Amino acid sequence: MIPRTRTQRLLSRSRSSLALLFRKKAPKAGLAILVGIMLFLIIGSFVNPYSPYKDSKLLNSPPSPTHIFGTDFLGRDIYSQIVNGAYPSLLVAVIAALGSVVLGVLAGVFSGYYSRLRGLVGGTGDLIMVFPLLPLLLLIGSLFVATNLFIATLLIFVLWPLVARAIRPQALAISKMPFVQAAKTSGVKDREIVMTIVIPQVLSIAIAYFILNVSLALVLTTALEFLGVGNPDLVSWGSILYWAEQFGFLAGAWWWIVFPGTFITLTGMGFALIGFSLEEVFNPRLRV
Amino acid sequence: MGYLRNRIITYAIIWFIALNFDFILPRIAPGNAAEILANGGRLPALQVQQLEQRFGLLQPVTVQYLLFLKGVFLNFPPDFGFSYQYFPASVSQLFFQRLPDTAFLIVIGLALAMTLSYLAASISSLRRGGKFEMGTLYTSVALQGTPVYWFSMVLLWIFAVSLKLLPISGQVDASLEGFNYMLSFLEHSILPMSVMTIATFGQWYLLLRGSSQQILQSDYILAAKSRGLSEETIARRYVLRNSLLPVISLASLFLGNMISIAVLVETVFGYSGVGDLFVDGVINRDYPVLEGSFFYVTTIVIIGAVIGEIVLQRLDPRIK
Repeated sequence: MIPRTRTQRLLSRSRSSLALLFRKKAPKAGLAILVGIMLFLIIGSFVNPYSPYKDSKLLNSPPSPTHIFGTDFLGRDIYSQIVNGAYPSLLVAVIAALGSVVLGVLAGVFSGYYSRLRGLVGGTGDLIMVFPLLPLLLLIGSLFVATNLFIATLLIFVLWPLVARAIRPQALAISKMPFVQAAKTSGVKDREIVMTIVIPQVLSIAIAYFILNVSLALVLTTALEFLGVGNPDLVSWGSILYWAEQFGFLAGAWWWIVFPGTFITLTGMGFALIGFSLEEVFNPRLRV
Repeated sequence: MGYLRNRIITYAIIWFIALNFDFILPRIAPGNAAEILANGGRLPALQVQQLEQRFGLLQPVTVQYLLFLKGVFLNFPPDFGFSYQYFPASVSQLFFQRLPDTAFLIVIGLALAMTLSYLAASISSLRRGGKFEMGTLYTSVALQGTPVYWFSMVLLWIFAVSLKLLPISGQVDASLEGFNYMLSFLEHSILPMSVMTIATFGQWYLLLRGSSQQILQSDYILAAKSRGLSEETIARRYVLRNSLLPVISLASLFLGNMISIAVLVETVFGYSGVGDLFVDGVINRDYPVLEGSFFYVTTIVIIGAVIGEIVLQRLDPRIK
């Protein structure tokens, strides 16, 4: 059946893209990892008997039946810390990714469609991408009171150029297409063209970059938490490693370092694999 | 040439904006004035007086701004005053003392990563879609999600604590001399260097691969295939060399990224380079050090970007 209506056309295109996606091994692995971790976290929050902030007498004990991942230097259960610490870190990462994609799509679409904006937006974006992110984030994050929202905002500011850079060529290509030119000459307002035509077309890439950005933002957030930005006393994936770096080596507590980091890595990997495969599928230039 | 000139002017403007930002930021941070005076409480009165004089701390902001600009533009190297923490060492002195070590990590790390990923790309292109390519690809993507600092800690644990093969922290054993000194330096830098190389390799390989994907779809590749050249010859003669082009110019843009990685690596391994200095400054609220480091890093990154643009301009005749 030849797709006639716009919805049918969109569906048939995404169906074939999705089919391609599910044939690859990588996104399946990534999805499996993420689902596994999600389950672990959700079930874990019901199952675990300890509060992550509760000291106990069992200082620096290796993994055991009572403390699956061992305890830290204050006797706090590491398993609970991982389960509870997921929320701050992941929340910031997801919000940052969402914001950066929204901003990046807007920037990319407008600089692709309006040629006058291209130099300014492109230049600013390129400069932000060139800059060493961590020192900048570290500097700002440590000078001001860094709440999680503040960190998320910083990350949005730093991550949007990546998205805009990928979206701009697509927006440009679309705006040069005959039917868009036709719409313009027949009097359709620019804003309407952008809203109804350009943005839906770039949506698929935007989703891919959203997932990739969650991975990036997660790594950046935990890195900042690791360096002590924000509140190191608040249990988050990065702050666990903050304390582990200072006291773990001395105490010989390898479990303190290995387990939290493994979770960060696996989650980051899961998102990265899925996002990367999505990008390959939706960006026709990257296909092997 | 006009395009290049515009870009350079843009970068110069951005550099100047960053300079002002560097001045403004510590001064609008909450608790700033109290911090400085509190720091002064730890130092002897004479030094507090010197600090006040140098930075004009008790004077209006406009005077401070002028002092700041005077320090930056009228001296070479720019004078950012003394560090609060390492008084009376000057900020520039501290920075340049540590710069070679960080530069060592970054330059050699980047060179190794580029070489390795180019090799990997060459091998991959011999069998497109084969096991080697897929393996390296997914490893690189997986590496993207791995936090550098955690990876450093794990390596540190394995090699320094468990196996006791390499030293735990620091940069060199200062008590040794001559050849032993060099050896100790190398020993201390193996782990940081490895982490930098591996972290950079992943990203670099993905860039290289993306570039060669695009090349593969070009018309001249199709023409070569239709002429009957084997995949191997095509790969060797056309794809790899041409995919190198956009990537080389990116090398200087990568600098910022590598500095970020260096900050983390130096912190974990206790390697006293520029990144470590910066983190120290953050922890100790050492504003002069922060201002100075930020300025130098910005300048280096922008110079790198400009060089990258020039190189791209020269190598690619299409952008004129």
